[in-house]
Amino acid sequence: MSSNVNARAALAAASLLVAAPVLAQAPQADAPPAAAQPTITRPPQLVQPVEAQYPPEALKEGLTASVRLIITIAEDGAVSDVQPTEAVGHGFDEAAIAAVRQFRFSPAEVDGVPAPVQVEYVYHFTLEAPPPAEGTAAAEAEAPKATLTGTLISRGSRSRVPGATVRCGDEADAAEALSDADGRFTLEVPPGECAVRVIASGFQLYQTKETLKANETTEVNFYLAPAGSPFETVVRSARPKKEVVRRTVTREEAQKTPGTFGDPIRVLQALPGVARAPFISGDLLVRGSNPGQTATLMDGVRIPNLFHLLGGPSVVNAEFIDSLDFYPGGYGSQYGRAVGGVVDVTTRKGAADTVHGSVKVDLLDAGFFLEAPVTDGISVAASARRSYIDTLLPAVLPKNEGETLSIVPVYWDYQLRVDFGAKRGTTPEPGTARNTGYIMAFGSDDKLKLVTGGEETDRDISLDTRTRFHRVKGDWTYRKGDFTSVFTPYVGLDYFDISFGQYIEHDVISSLGAREVMTLDVSSLLTLRTGLDVYFEHVKVDVQAPAPGGTEYVPFPGNDPVSELIHEEPVINGFDGALFAEADFKFGAFTVTPGLRGNFQRVNGTRNWLLDPRLWLRYTMSERTAIKGSLGLYSQPADTYQFIFSPYGNPLLDYQRAFQTSLGVEQRLGETWNVDVTGFFNRRFENVVSPGDLRPTSNGSFVQDRFVNMGIGKAYGVELMVKKERASATDKWSGWLSYTLSHAEDGRAGAKPRGDNPLGQDGPPGSDEETYGLSPWDQTHILTLVANYILGNGWEVGGRFRLTTGRPTTPLTHPHDIYDSDTNNYQPTYGPFRSARTSSFHQLDVRVEKGWRFDNWTLALYMDVQNIYNAENVEFIFNDYRYRNDVKIPGIPILPVLGVKGSF
Amino acid sequence: MDIRLELGGLLLVALGAVACVDPDDKASNVHDLRVLGMAVERPELMAPTCEFTAEALEVFTEQVTFRALLVDPAGEGRSLDYALWACADPEDTICEDASQRLLLAEGTTTAGELALPIRPGATVLPDGSLLLDKVRQADPYQGYGGLRMPLVLNVRAGGEAIFAMKRMVFSCPAVPGMEANQQPVLQGLTVEGAAWDDGALPTLTGKGTFVVRANDVSALEESYVVPGLRKEAVSLKEAWTITWHATLGEFTPEETGSADFNGQPGRHRTEWEPPEKGAVAQEVTFWAVVRDGRGGSSWLIRKARWTP
Repeated sequence: MSSNVNARAALAAASLLVAAPVLAQAPQADAPPAAAQPTITRPPQLVQPVEAQYPPEALKEGLTASVRLIITIAEDGAVSDVQPTEAVGHGFDEAAIAAVRQFRFSPAEVDGVPAPVQVEYVYHFTLEAPPPAEGTAAAEAEAPKATLTGTLISRGSRSRVPGATVRCGDEADAAEALSDADGRFTLEVPPGECAVRVIASGFQLYQTKETLKANETTEVNFYLAPAGSPFETVVRSARPKKEVVRRTVTREEAQKTPGTFGDPIRVLQALPGVARAPFISGDLLVRGSNPGQTATLMDGVRIPNLFHLLGGPSVVNAEFIDSLDFYPGGYGSQYGRAVGGVVDVTTRKGAADTVHGSVKVDLLDAGFFLEAPVTDGISVAASARRSYIDTLLPAVLPKNEGETLSIVPVYWDYQLRVDFGAKRGTTPEPGTARNTGYIMAFGSDDKLKLVTGGEETDRDISLDTRTRFHRVKGDWTYRKGDFTSVFTPYVGLDYFDISFGQYIEHDVISSLGAREVMTLDVSSLLTLRTGLDVYFEHVKVDVQAPAPGGTEYVPFPGNDPVSELIHEEPVINGFDGALFAEADFKFGAFTVTPGLRGNFQRVNGTRNWLLDPRLWLRYTMSERTAIKGSLGLYSQPADTYQFIFSPYGNPLLDYQRAFQTSLGVEQRLGETWNVDVTGFFNRRFENVVSPGDLRPTSNGSFVQDRFVNMGIGKAYGVELMVKKERASATDKWSGWLSYTLSHAEDGRAGAKPRGDNPLGQDGPPGSDEETYGLSPWDQTHILTLVANYILGNGWEVGGRFRLTTGRPTTPLTHPHDIYDSDTNNYQPTYGPFRSARTSSFHQLDVRVEKGWRFDNWTLALYMDVQNIYNAENVEFIFNDYRYRNDVKIPGIPILPVLGVKGSF
Repeated sequence: MDIRLELGGLLLVALGAVACVDPDDKASNVHDLRVLGMAVERPELMAPTCEFTAEALEVFTEQVTFRALLVDPAGEGRSLDYALWACADPEDTICEDASQRLLLAEGTTTAGELALPIRPGATVLPDGSLLLDKVRQADPYQGYGGLRMPLVLNVRAGGEAIFAMKRMVFSCPAVPGMEANQQPVLQGLTVEGAAWDDGALPTLTGKGTFVVRANDVSALEESYVVPGLRKEAVSLKEAWTITWHATLGEFTPEETGSADFNGQPGRHRTEWEPPEKGAVAQEVTFWAVVRDGRGGSSWLIRKARWTP
């Protein structure tokens, strides 16, 4: 019976590996932040195929089939799991799975390290042709031949399709060819009609007919239709991790999560441990931390401005990212400068096959993305975006006689990346050195000009602001044997300009930094990592302003006078450096990773240093289950500009600190479901708050520092993440459920400072004397449900539903009116500090997309609707002027955004 | 500085949302018992020396006149009980601490201007200490910018009660050029471009809005000097504010003038808008309360006849 079987392996090439995060693994060499995207440096090779048994009933009926499978290949090349992507029936699935379970592969390597991977595999069952008649072979040798040659191209994206099988007919002995890395194939067949069949992983079966003439070569291009989502194939690979929680968001998830306007940073708000930010703000409020305490890095380099003006889109163009890694806490020693979480955005490497690109237009802005190979081993990717709301606003702004009103908001950003060193289709010989790298530039520019006034108004206002930054960074990755080194130098230039009446400020920040991360696999039991992370900043401030009360003089409570102008040009030089080291010790199923990060900061004459010891533990119970825990200290330097002289800053600031610990379990269910539960406890201390205490000076005057290390806080809770990934390109739906149960407190140590410094009044509002209590961002329950479904025929629909506890507020008691006649303001009388809450928040966002695929390009039209049932959620509570009643400030009402995107 | 921009953006969004929410109760619409302004005549008692001498004490203990603008449009002339306290702590907005307060006056009055002769600088607490000295002790700046003694007026009628606070200013010439503050006085108003004199009753017809302006006061806004926290002295110039009130309708803006963050003073121009519906022709009382930002204050009262 087995002789009837013809089982052919259409093993996908490395570039088509469709690999979900694979099983629970012991901690290994952590991918350095500057080269976070995993690269398959050695694809698995099938070294021991096993023939499947042809199902008897199918054989009787003369049936054939192709069974598409997802194979999980363990680190040692053994097949650890096999799952069909869609059942074909008639016993073919069972027969194919039974055979493939006995396959043996050569171990695959990811970033030079043996790693478990998943491959898509097609097992063909075909019926053997009757034995040829005598003399046929000789006749065949003399028979004329025709040649069919060409290129396999992904329909729409025009990517070349390697590793695909091209056959003439479905017979067992039909000639076939495998496409190379450029999607090229050549097939020699008898002349006549050829029933072409192209079988490629991740693509629909392609069939056509070609009439081939004897002794002639027919050149063709076959456009293969991707099997799943019409435009993108999610390419993922497992990366070993030691952190208790690292959540990775792919580009597709970043662009298609409803309610985020395709903004990659805002997608992170749908993950466990992140509290909901008000309105459509993109603030990351991670595990009880405050805004600004979570670091956002772009390939390891901190992004100075995360969002465009007025809470607009993030400066990270979604088209340019490859993925986002989000660490809500307990991150590795190579990360620092944050007491909250860390987000590391991995940018996209330019395509190596041909030119690709996209153009996207929506309500606020338009942008493009372009990627192309330059020569073998060098590729380039570029994107840019500009808003055009400045051209639309004049049409809707009111025009009144005697009044001038002009609002001109403009933003744009750019990203450029040139990769070199990685040649296509080449795998370095074992033991040889491998150098790869890239140079990247990115930046952003935001301008806002507002002019209003005239005799028919009560005030002339002229505001002109501009915020710019530019970064250029390099990346050099060196691998040899068990040693990996990643060196990332970068330079930056930031500008901040504002002109508001007589207030004029021009700031320039020049920065220079570098990271070096070295990893050495000493043995299977020990891996070492060490490196440095240095950063220097030269801050030049030039400010002219009316002398503010509270800092220049003791003000009388009431309306401000016209002050004399002061002019200051302080210069601050700030250095922050760190040395770090970690070691993974493996004891059977246990891995222990102690780490240490030593920090040193010098700003002008102030020196701060401290050590952050950290520890991670992991117990791998099985291939699918792992228990992990961590604890450690984390620190964040105060911003360099905060060291400016008192009372505008505080030159004696120290590191902000946090203790973070977490314990969790992750469980993989089947091939597409992942569940993890994590408990955490954080305590923040010596955080920078404002203002400091008022203190007398030696000359009999008084000074109040604007900042002081007196902030404290703590948070604890449990996070649950249930994620469904697409099993294959044909799987229809994906999504996740995220739930966080948490309690967060925030405030400052000591008594509420007295004084009249208007620059420092951003302490806890709504209290008389209390300075510590529930965090203003505390939300006991945070539930997010995200789902995407491919309807077919180019239609895709997704939804995001959020249900969260309302934020804390301090209730009013109002026993009587209290009127301050000097300021013409009433004074509130509050109840217990943050003892009430706004009502719960609930909102459903929906995204619908329709795509059209043409041979050489695709077109997508999408609508992202925020708050589709127009829930009236309360974002803030203000009060009437006498503080008698609450005035509830509603959130964003129903808000549809239409966009169009063309890709080629 | 990125967090500053992010929070600024968030604040702008919140303020935009506030603009979309229109509370029913507006400060410029006076419909119940209110204290619209308080003043002390003279607004600042400046001793000739910064030493604690008998000469300085003589100035600080002078009698002054306390004035309060009490309005009660729905009270139909009812009696208002009042009590005026002086206390030490500027954060004790209702003079709650019995050990550091003294009753200056109490009685009954009716809506209108309440005028009381007082000598708060001379008040002595039951423990024998001078209240003014307690004021200095309670001041976080220890009197560096002058002493501000809280005067709290408690007004009660029926179930309504108001605590209204005003700081009385005591100072000395700590740096050259310092002079005592003068009371700000408005030089008249216009409505729809026409002079609006005291006792006149112009007729305003229709839905409006009606533009109300204060006559130019820029020449009256004093330049003055105060002790500096970083340097010896800081030069300032008053930028008066006027708060606008009416017994019907509302003003937009409700307060004009002052110098904003950008250091630019605004114009004293506002618009009065009668209610869109439900109101009948009536005589409307208007108040314009001026403050100089350093303790001085006064007010004008005008009337007009409005018909829908």
